[in-house]
Order: sequence, then structure tokens, then C-alpha cells
Amino acid sequence: MASPHDTVRMGETPHWEPEDHIGTMSLKTLLFSHDYRHIAIKGMLTSIVMLGLGGLMALLFRTELAMPDIQFFDARPYMSLMTLHGMFMVFGFIIPLVVSVMYFMMPKVLGMDGLLWAKGAQWSWWTLVVAAVLLIISRPDFTWTFYPPMSLRVGGPLLGLGFLAVLLVAISEFLAGMVLLRNGLAAAKKTGWRKLPLMGWGAVSEGILLIGSTPALGLVAVFMFTDWMQWSAVYDPARGGNVMTFMFTFWFYGHPAVYLPLMPAIAVLYTLLPRYLGRPIWSYWSAVTAFSILTVLAFVVYPHHFQPAESVSGLIGRATQILTLLIFVPSTLHVFNWIATLWFDTIPASAKRAVPFKFIVASIFFLMVGGVTAYVNAQIATDSDFVHNTYFVPAHFHAMFVGFMANMAMAGVYYLYPYMTGRMYSQGLGNTHFWFWQIGIFVKVTMMYWLGYAYFPRWVVDYLPLKEWAMPQLILTGGAYLIGLGFILFVFNFMWSASRGKAATGDPWAISDDSPAAAPAPAE
Amino acid sequence: MENALGASGYTATMMALVFIVLGLGIAALFAALYLPARWKLKYRMEFLFVGLLVLMVWYADRESTAMYKQYQGEIAKAGFVDAEGEAREGDNFDRVIKVVAFQWGFAFLTDEDEISRNAAVVKPGEKVLFRIFANDVIHGFNIPAVGITAEFDPGVERDLWITAPREPGKYLIQCLNYCGVGHAQMKAWLVVEGEEA
Repeated sequence: MASPHDTVRMGETPHWEPEDHIGTMSLKTLLFSHDYRHIAIKGMLTSIVMLGLGGLMALLFRTELAMPDIQFFDARPYMSLMTLHGMFMVFGFIIPLVVSVMYFMMPKVLGMDGLLWAKGAQWSWWTLVVAAVLLIISRPDFTWTFYPPMSLRVGGPLLGLGFLAVLLVAISEFLAGMVLLRNGLAAAKKTGWRKLPLMGWGAVSEGILLIGSTPALGLVAVFMFTDWMQWSAVYDPARGGNVMTFMFTFWFYGHPAVYLPLMPAIAVLYTLLPRYLGRPIWSYWSAVTAFSILTVLAFVVYPHHFQPAESVSGLIGRATQILTLLIFVPSTLHVFNWIATLWFDTIPASAKRAVPFKFIVASIFFLMVGGVTAYVNAQIATDSDFVHNTYFVPAHFHAMFVGFMANMAMAGVYYLYPYMTGRMYSQGLGNTHFWFWQIGIFVKVTMMYWLGYAYFPRWVVDYLPLKEWAMPQLILTGGAYLIGLGFILFVFNFMWSASRGKAATGDPWAISDDSPAAAPAPAE
Repeated sequence: MENALGASGYTATMMALVFIVLGLGIAALFAALYLPARWKLKYRMEFLFVGLLVLMVWYADRESTAMYKQYQGEIAKAGFVDAEGEAREGDNFDRVIKVVAFQWGFAFLTDEDEISRNAAVVKPGEKVLFRIFANDVIHGFNIPAVGITAEFDPGVERDLWITAPREPGKYLIQCLNYCGVGHAQMKAWLVVEGEEA
């Protein structure tokens, strides 16, 4: 158990009596219950399904990319796979998963009876499911950024549904933002801002980001749909529209969008780290400062996604460059805080054994791997040299999305496992999953960086058989398969342990230090 | 930006900084996990740390801006800042090539109005100005061998210049921005041949 002085600023320990929620849920409860734990579990389960789908798509096109030339897919099905991979992973898997983990933990940590306005979370889930179905029906092939006018000139008769799906995603995320902000504010009102647990700060930041950014996505989706239907010509220059309008509106959502899974992941990390170490975070105010600066910067740095176009050169370009570089400060403050927390006292043996704790450590590692390269990504000169639209960009965001956020989401799911099923996962399978993922992600990310540095273009089905391209692509595909294997182990572990795992009683994460160093020396 | 793969100079410095910071970070993480010694950091250490970060930000901004200004300055010196008239050879460029990017390929027009689909012919070591234009969708323009990549919107002309490689040969030119199903095939060649300029 965490020490009592945690509760003032770290919040209550997220601990319930382990209980089998999943096994006792009827279909009706699963679909319509407004109990926040049911909604959270539902969100986690669907997110894991989406991870499976998105991952399968990734493995399919990775297999194609393993060797030069076209072996399995033509350009169009390949691009559909890639587009759906991006949309499923970001909209369907990572954001809902970390938000669902937060739904589950938040009421307890913030000391409330339940999630306020759970109905909003319910609607958010249903909207997202409809969006996912629409996406599968429309099979868009214009990448998840659907830049006009390209996206207006491709695809089949059902493609317009893809834009409606994006609109529904925006609505779903907006509703989730309302839920998080409302709960964060309610907690702040109860405890006062100076004693608001860090998860509360996370909820407020996330809520502001979601509510502030998603209207832009909704707007873009509506105009893309009307443009596609030929009812309007907002974004098509050939018919009098303007591409820059799109860029500024879309990326006003698009940059905060990458922080949407980041904030909850950080909030969960701040909640679980004290839980495993049995001591508070090194500096509460450093964390609060970092949350606040990140939230503000998230809204102003978005032009870096389309620099160095002429329209963002000059003063806007320079300001964007400086502000983007400054993101270095708050994100490093978080990492600094975590490392300082790990360092200032011993790490209990119980933590070292726990699979969620391992995932937390791996998350911190990959946040650094993904984060440092932001230093070259942000500079206009290096961006115009080798960063812009080469594999350096996917390398950066895969290190962040998979290495940090997905690892952190997994830490949350493993942590909550006994509270959802009343049983413990299999330790051996959990460890194997952990290592498969970490090796796979490391291989994948380093190979992507390598390819980016060698100017490998994004979004290609086929590439020249250069030796600096072909070899890393092959290794990269190997890494992706390793991640896939890890995922299969995870799903098996999840389902098998739910009925056969060791029953969890009392506190599944009780802190104990039974390492030889901590044991009293035998008397001689 | 003139260095192939950024193997030296500014880009290399920045990459080195990235590796140093990453190395220090990972070392700190592992030390925190495995070193027997425990260390409670003073809070004021963090201010020092933030100071160092801000210094890094300042350095990156200064270097990048200087680099990019110098690069853009060469184009400004050529004297056709407004793109109204015909492209004429600027004093400080050995060759001016108009590039039309389309779905899916590049066409190169020299000032003698020679059109080439998919090959820009230059002499070794020449300073070449590309005036790039697209009418249909957003495209990209990248020559790996000389380290330049750009994205440009339909209807807006962009000027990019390079120093051609000294070694004669065929160098890849490719689109880096997704522009439709033929994107992967959108390639051309920078052909370097003849006497050094």
C-alpha cells in the first residue's frame, strides 16, 4: 500500500477488492450498463479488438514491404490497409484504451463514488463503434491525414462515408473530453487545485485538449464530405478552394491529437509509479507545471506538421520552430521526475516482479528514444534535409505511440486485470509478452530511424532495391511479427487466466521486499 | 542541407547532440533502477536542468535559422522573388530547371525549353535551381544524394537549389508526400554528366 501522505497529492490508491466483473457481465450489462467500470471494461475490450485489427493490417502491409517489388498487394489495397491501420490504431485503439483505463481508475483515485456523467462515456463508445464500422465499409485509401485535393480524387462510391466516420470520431472524442474535464473539475472543487491528485491534472489537461481540438476535426470532416459530394469547394483549389485552410484546420486538431493518448498515459504513470514503489512522486509541482505547459504548447505548435512550406516561413515558421523545440522542456520534466522518483529510494522486489511495473519502465525508456529526435524534427533546416515525410517521422511517432503510450496502456490493463477478473494473469506469459514487445518495438523503431536517415519515403507500396533500404525493411518486418506474437500471447493470457488464473484476494500489488539484500543477515 | 545524408557539419552536430542526450537519459534510467546507491535529488537541480534544456533550444534555433537563412538567401539573390515573369538564369546559379510535378511523375524544362520526363541533366558540382510547380495535388520533392526535401501545395511555386554531386552518375529524385495511388512510382533521376563546371 502506498504511504498515507501520497493521498494528499497523489490521490487515493487505485485499489478495490478484486472482483470478477468480466465473468459476471451479461451482454445487456456490457452494452448498456452505466456503471463506470462496465463502460471502462467495454472500452478496453473494444480497444484491444481494434489493436488486433490494426495490428493485423500492419502485419499484412509489413509483409509486402519486407522485400522490394510488389508481391502481395497492389497500391490501392495496400493504401487501404495503411490508412485503416493508422485510423484504427489512433482513433480506435490507443486513445480509447488509455481513456478507458482512466475511466476505471479516476473515480477511485480522485475519491469520488463513480464517474460523473458516465452517460457521456457511453455515448462516446457507441459513436466510436459506428465510426469503426463506417470505416471498414468505406475502406478509405487516402492516409489518415486525407490531404485534399488528393483525397477528393480517389476511391470508390462509398468513400464519402469515411469522412462521416471521421466526424463521428470527432464527436466521440469530444464527449470523452467532456466526461474527463467534468470529473477533473469536480475533483479540483473538492480537494482544491493545490491538492488535486496528478490524475486529476491529467484529466483536466486531457479534457481541455479534447474539447479544444476536436471541433476542428469535425469541421474538416464536414467540409471534406460536402467537397467530396461536390456540394461545396472549400478545400479543392481546382474549384476555387484553398489547401492551406485545410492544413491549418486539420493540424489544429492533428497536433493535440497526438497528445490525446499521451496525457492519460502520463497520468496513469503518475498514479501507478507511487503505487508500486510505495512512495510519492519526487516533485508534485514539477509534474503540474509540465502538464500545464504541455497543454498550452499542444495548441500552438501545429504548423510544424506542414513546414517548411512557403506559407509557414518567416515569422510563423520561426515561432513554430522555437515553440516546438520548447516542448522538449515539459516532456523532459516528466521523465526527469520519474527517474528521480525511481532513484530516491530502493525499488521493492514486489515492483520488480510485477509485469505492469516492467511496462512502466519500458515506457519511460521509449519516451526518451522517441522524444530526443524531436530535437532534429523541430529544426526547419534538418526538417528540410532528411526529416520531412521520410521514415524519420513514423519512427518518431511509433516510438511515442507504441513505445510509450501502448506500453503504458498495457501497464494499465495488467494492473487492472485482477480488479476486472478477480484473478491474476499468468506471470510467465506476461513476461514473455513484455520481452517480445520490447525487443520488437526496439527493432522496429531503430530500423525506422535508420530508414528515415536514408531517405526512405513514407506511404510507398514499392521501393528501389537499394541495400540501405531493403535490409532494414526486412528486419523491421521481423520486429513487427515479434510484436504480433506478443499480442497473441497477451490475448491468450487475458482469456485463459480469466477462468484458470490464480484467484486474487486482498491486495494483489502489496509491497514487499524479499530480495536477499533487504533480508536481515543470518546470525552466525 | 547540402551534405548528402547530413554526414558532416550542422546536421551531424545535431544528431550527435541527440545521441548524447539519449545516452545520458538511458544511463540515468538504468542507474536509478540498478545502482545500489540511492540518491534524493535536490529540487534546485531541476532548475539547472531546465536551464540546460533552454540553452539547447536556443542553440538549435540559432543554428537552424542561420542555416536556412543562408539557403534561402541564395534564392533571393537570384532576383526572381516574385514569380511573375519567365524563369531566367540567376547570376549565382549555373543552371535553372523548371519542374512540373504531376500525378505521378516529374517533368523538367530547361531554359532552352527542352522537356525531359523523368531526368534532370546537370554537370558535376553545378549549382542548380529547381523552380517546382504542381497543378493537381500536394507533392513532395526529394533528392537523397544532396539532402533536400520539400513539400509543396498545388498552385504555389517553390524554389529549391542544390549543389550537384561531383561524381557523375544517376541520382534518385522522389516524391515524399502521399499524392495518390501512384505515389510509389513518382520518381525521376538527377543525371550528372559531362565536365565539371
